[in-house]
Amino acid sequence: MSDNKSQIALEVNDITKVFATKAGIIEALRGISFVINRGEFVSIVGPSGSGKSTLLNIIGALDRPTSGKVYIDGIDIFSLRDGDIAAMRNKLIGFIFQSFNLINRSTVQKNVELPAIISDMRKQERKRRALLLLESLGVADKARLKTSSLSGGQQQRVAIARALINNPTMVLADEPTGNLDTKTGNEVFDLLRILSNKFRRNVIFVTHNQELAKKTDRIIYIKDGVIEREVLN
Amino acid sequence: MKISEIFKLSLEAMRERKARSALTIIMVLAGCGLMIALNGISAGQSEFIKKQLNTLAPNILFVNNGQRSFRGGGDTSQTPSIVINSIVVDRIKSLPYVSDVVPGYQAQVTLNAAGNVITSSVIATDPQKIYLVDPSLELIPGSSIQPNNPSAIIFGDSVANPPGKSTPFVTLGQTIRATYNYVDQDSGKQQQISKSFVVTGIIAPTGNNQLDRAVIINTASGDSLFNKGGKFDQMIVAANSADYVPAVQNEITTLYGTNIGITTPKAILEARERFTSGNNSFIQNVAFIALFVGAIGIVTTLYNAVNERIAEIGTIKAIGATRLFILLMFLFEALMIGLIGSTLGVMSGMVGAYALSSIGGPRPGIGGGGAMGFQRPIAPEFIPNDIIDVWILSVVLSVIAGLYPAWKASGLSPVLALKR
Repeated sequence: MSDNKSQIALEVNDITKVFATKAGIIEALRGISFVINRGEFVSIVGPSGSGKSTLLNIIGALDRPTSGKVYIDGIDIFSLRDGDIAAMRNKLIGFIFQSFNLINRSTVQKNVELPAIISDMRKQERKRRALLLLESLGVADKARLKTSSLSGGQQQRVAIARALINNPTMVLADEPTGNLDTKTGNEVFDLLRILSNKFRRNVIFVTHNQELAKKTDRIIYIKDGVIEREVLN
Repeated sequence: MKISEIFKLSLEAMRERKARSALTIIMVLAGCGLMIALNGISAGQSEFIKKQLNTLAPNILFVNNGQRSFRGGGDTSQTPSIVINSIVVDRIKSLPYVSDVVPGYQAQVTLNAAGNVITSSVIATDPQKIYLVDPSLELIPGSSIQPNNPSAIIFGDSVANPPGKSTPFVTLGQTIRATYNYVDQDSGKQQQISKSFVVTGIIAPTGNNQLDRAVIINTASGDSLFNKGGKFDQMIVAANSADYVPAVQNEITTLYGTNIGITTPKAILEARERFTSGNNSFIQNVAFIALFVGAIGIVTTLYNAVNERIAEIGTIKAIGATRLFILLMFLFEALMIGLIGSTLGVMSGMVGAYALSSIGGPRPGIGGGGAMGFQRPIAPEFIPNDIIDVWILSVVLSVIAGLYPAWKASGLSPVLALKR
């Protein structure tokens, strides 16, 4: 039992999320529960409006559930104070967004270093890590350029590097290939695959793309806010 | 949390919108600069007046048959005047605590020196008594006071050497022609009397406008030139000491009531201080409003910046920034705008004060009379503590102005921000 528990990186327990809007009450998520083991590469698939991104936001503590709990490494994340939640996001979770969400006025290197700046990492160490990551992602030569001068694929690589600089245990990727062409999207997916296989990071990958989802360890299908089924690949 | 790193992020954001940041800085600069300039000009004027009065002997009273009096208490009403003649002079001389009374005439006279013509106020009095007004007064080398010489004339430095002119108006030993225009009482016609004088003395600069613009002939010459018939325009009354000035003033008032005008340096100073404190309050309020406008500019700029950078704020929160991190990011922008604007404002305010005060013009003197002519500009005075206070106020206002937008930014929900 205790071995099982030590293998569990993420536990989502009966999550419900209700939005009160002008159009009425919307139940975005209902009774969502699942577990992700260490090193697993899991995709969450579903149609638009199924609640995938809402679920990802709750797992990443960007949003609070109406009810239910989320445990990361055994810690009930919503029992933490706001400052501790932010620190947890900074150190344990790496985010990758569909629109990359880079800061255009800053250089590539500065963008990558940002989470490390927030975590108070020493300047030399964070520069070293940033350059190492950029090199391993094939964009080290762009380090001094502004991110707006990069292609979509390159920007997403920079976003991946940013997500990894603090050595998080979990990477949450919200449709990271959504704005990319097929080839580039596959390249980005392969990088995430390496993260999981080689570096034992948990990767939770929200996507519409069934083809890519089939290449992950497990698919969680969500429809109308509930888990329809889970498929082991 | 590394404060320096947050500072660098703020600086980056400011650099991205250089024009907007620059304009906001200019607003702060204008407010701070205006406050510094107005304070400097006001302090300079106060200092100028003090210096003027400090050159005057503290034991003198200026008495005239004019309609205004500086008795203090704000009494500036017009009243009937008396004729100041030798009887009045002797009467006042006999009062207790009075050491001397020096009567004089005064009139506007056209002076022609080798073809150069000016109009100046000329005082006809005992020239030896000018030391009563300013004991430290000096004449330039070669000058002499010739009280019994009907042709002797003494010039103040600003008349003899007009500011801004490369050549003097008069030099020692020069002959000049003085012409007095008047209306004949009997015929009602415009008449003229002219007389030649020789410049026997030039007063070294005293720092007192009234003395520097003085032109002095002896009493008898004045009586004949101005056709006054022994009716004096003014008197200088010297008390035994400064302590007796109020007593002498009371005695003269008891004798002649409000029929006579009395001016003392102390009364002028009191009136000036009343005016200055009221004026200063007004100036401070105007300048504060300008600073406040600058602060509103900061609120607007940062509020717009927050709205434009909502997605960025969401991202930074998503990667682990706390509310305090975001708050400081925007507050530091406000702080930098305040620091740069205030510092440049102090410098431009000082330059501006000098520029404004160098715009010269006719200025009346002190202690009776009112000669026309251009004055040396009154230099502004900058008190270090005042400058520091204004600088601090300007910076603090800037930071306060940044609080609301910074607070708004820090409180944004990351999910909602990321949706933008």
